[in-house]
Amino acid sequence: MKIIKISAIWCGACLITNKVWNQLQKNYDFEAVELDYDIDEEEVEKYSPGNILPVFLFYKNDNEVARLSGEVSYKELEEMYLKVGE
Amino acid sequence: MKKVLLFLILFLFFPLSVFGKEDDTITLYLFHGDGCPHCAEEIEFLNSIEDEYSNLRIIKYEVWYDEGHADLLDQVRKALDVEESGVPTTVIGDTVITGFGSSTGSRIQRAIEYYQTEEYKDVVFEVTAGTFRKEEKHKSDFMEKEKKSDQEMTMKIPLFGKINLKKVSLATAAIVIGFIDGFNPCAMWILLFLISVLIGMKDRKRMWTLGLAFLITSALVYMFIMLSWIQIAVKITTVIWIRNIIAIIALIGGIVNFKSFFTSHDSGCEVVDNKRRKKILKKIQSFTRNKSFILALIGVMGLAVSVNLVELACSAGLPLVFTELLVLNHVSSVMKFLYTLLYILFFLIDDLIVFFIAMFTMKITGISTKYNKYSHLLGGLVMILIGILLLWKPEWLMFQFK
Repeated sequence: MKIIKISAIWCGACLITNKVWNQLQKNYDFEAVELDYDIDEEEVEKYSPGNILPVFLFYKNDNEVARLSGEVSYKELEEMYLKVGE
Repeated sequence: MKKVLLFLILFLFFPLSVFGKEDDTITLYLFHGDGCPHCAEEIEFLNSIEDEYSNLRIIKYEVWYDEGHADLLDQVRKALDVEESGVPTTVIGDTVITGFGSSTGSRIQRAIEYYQTEEYKDVVFEVTAGTFRKEEKHKSDFMEKEKKSDQEMTMKIPLFGKINLKKVSLATAAIVIGFIDGFNPCAMWILLFLISVLIGMKDRKRMWTLGLAFLITSALVYMFIMLSWIQIAVKITTVIWIRNIIAIIALIGGIVNFKSFFTSHDSGCEVVDNKRRKKILKKIQSFTRNKSFILALIGVMGLAVSVNLVELACSAGLPLVFTELLVLNHVSSVMKFLYTLLYILFFLIDDLIVFFIAMFTMKITGISTKYNKYSHLLGGLVMILIGILLLWKPEWLMFQFK
């Protein structure tokens, strides 16, 4: 399981979700990738992140299986992880 | 036929007063002193309302340098048993209003409106002509009504004592509207990026100075724009149709805010205008890394100016609506400044919280975006409410509910 988080340094919601993102990494074993919307522009474009940050992309066997965007709570993030991770 | 036409033309264009219509002119006498700041304020106020009443005539008497006028004022005071002295003194009918403060403008307007329907007697003229008879006078009940209304407008609150509800209402409006306005996310992202660059610096003094320069410049720009608008609004918004245009702007702004409430994402940061954002990010990096402190300071201040001009457009009319509220209530210049300052303080409160937390903890934090959506809803409600009241019940915005 791989989760890609696309965020930006200027985005308040991204800063807020840092805490839940770190918590998820502590509690579960998955490959975590962090991309910055401006710094990793070319890489980010490949994922068509849309216009709401942050974006969490859930990958299984190199296929996107789910995505969450906006200021998500730990519960939402965990629920999605458990749902697609099974 | 020609005779009939001639009669009609004469009938339509002949001054009505010729047919014996009573002169309904209401004369407002202002006794003022040259160089007295409150007198200057009242003169400015009277100039702004003069066109609003077609039958109002304003006569000004200077009393500090003109003994004759000073004597006349004494005579009028004696005739009407007025003990208060000083300038400006306004006389309308047998109503005497001494001084000019935050609520005097609306009181003068109420007096003018009172005499539109009640019996009006030109006391100053009668005193001048020597025809005034004290025993004959029929004292109007305008001041009694005002005193009663003043009592109703004040409330005793434990610890605080007597509180003027109008002042409290305007202060509350400044806090609420300023706070809602501050929640629009148009400029927050720039502050966050600036802080992230500042935190990376080793020079704490430079960090604090550049950050505070950004915030103080933002406050000054917003304040300058709001105070300038008040200056213009004082002169033009007494004209009803301009007030109506402001009301329509408020209604449109309200609808735009409502639309944003329904269409915007629940939470998160909206990515808009990639080109502009990248340009601003590059600018911030180059300003803050500039070896010359002065150039860095100028750069950051320049950025704050341009950001706040955009922010003003982004807030869709909330500051405009608030300044109109101040103008409608004829508050003094000092109070206008203080209310605007209060508005700005609450407008910037989220920015200040984020900045100070970052500076003290050296960690950047964001403010939750979960409630941004509701700021659109509240902003929309406030604007629509004020727009409707401006059109149909402007006196309610002056906190007169009778």
